[in-house]
Amino acid sequence: MINSVEEYLAELKQELAGSDRATIQDALADAEEYLRTALSNAPAGTSEADALASVLGKYGTPAEVAAAYRQIESRTAPAFAARVQAEPAVLPAPAAARDTRHPLVRFFGVFAEPRAWGSFLYLLLAMVTGIIYFTWVVTGISVTGSLLVLIVGLPLAALFLLSVRGIALAEGRLVEALLGVRMPRRARFAGKTGIWQGFKNLVTDSHTWLSMVYMLLQMPLGVAYFSVFVTLVSVALGLIVWPIVAIATGLPVLVTSAHEYYAGGLLIPIGIVAGGLLLTATMHLAKAAGRAHGALAKAMLVRL
Amino acid sequence: MVEVVEAVKKFQKELNAGTSALVLLEVMDRASEPMYGYQIAKLIEARSRDVDIMKQGALYPVLRSLEAEGLLTSRVEPSVSSPPRRYYTITDAGRETLVRWREIWTQTRDLVDAVFTGGNDDQQR
Repeated sequence: MINSVEEYLAELKQELAGSDRATIQDALADAEEYLRTALSNAPAGTSEADALASVLGKYGTPAEVAAAYRQIESRTAPAFAARVQAEPAVLPAPAAARDTRHPLVRFFGVFAEPRAWGSFLYLLLAMVTGIIYFTWVVTGISVTGSLLVLIVGLPLAALFLLSVRGIALAEGRLVEALLGVRMPRRARFAGKTGIWQGFKNLVTDSHTWLSMVYMLLQMPLGVAYFSVFVTLVSVALGLIVWPIVAIATGLPVLVTSAHEYYAGGLLIPIGIVAGGLLLTATMHLAKAAGRAHGALAKAMLVRL
Repeated sequence: MVEVVEAVKKFQKELNAGTSALVLLEVMDRASEPMYGYQIAKLIEARSRDVDIMKQGALYPVLRSLEAEGLLTSRVEPSVSSPPRRYYTITDAGRETLVRWREIWTQTRDLVDAVFTGGNDDQQR
């Protein structure tokens, strides 16, 4: 007798033992989607056990479902196995599956990718959010820490810890929107508990403390992102614009103590090509850095 | 009796292997927007009028294989209250395939019907 969705999934996994890993992952994801959605749509008034029994009856026993997946797997093995390598943590970007574009198109196509622009924006924003998070955590810890000797320190500490969870959730939304990494949509609370139990949960939950570390880390990271990317973009734009300005105004492009260098006409196309390449490379770097930061946020903000 | 039960089960299973793909592709062709597995299963359940032909869990692997064959595409969307959902949409190749599948289905159904209602062939001759 199966008493919970978790139990069902465990049994399904057992039934599928020996199958392709991707198949198992698909089967578990499918089953979880169906069972949880079906349970949350169960008619009001039925007991939880009854609802589960009826839902499982419609979905099929683990053995039946496993047989269905195995049958499909045997029929379409190659394509099936190649496609669904480990479910990506990143939402599939338009071209993520298999990029068959020409390398040049792929290189310059980065300007058309929303994910690259999203990452770029996020990395610039990270300095602002980083400073805010850092200040909030440092202030919160020192104020509540010093007030904890008094009784008023306790509610203050609770409020502060709650605020950390709230900010972590908001940061998750920002990460999902701009970096495309799936993040939780609602806070996990342990249901109806007393205030004291809720407070203890907040304190003992590693998620709270990891979120705090993340918020502290965000400042140095944000400053680094900001300086690197602002520098790269300014250099690239400078390369493009400076020769044109120099020729138009008759100013030297470079002045040393001994010489003044003036731009020739050839410098304009060279500057444009070099600047354009640097700009494109910067966008690729932004995309990569965004992905790395997304992984970090996922690791630290999403409790497993 | 065991043999009969086994044979009935086997027949149902083999028949389902083909028809479930046809049914799913038809449902997706009629859908005005991307649908996820549970929605599709419920829609088919509503159409099947209490006949428990197909376990709903058996529909999901067929969806996956239709996608692997390029007849459907999917994308994963996180949802508010439940695990992420995989939304399926039919592709152009899927629509073209469906047209051919419908023809085959009509021919098959006509043949089976003709045999069922044909009466005694010896007498007709």
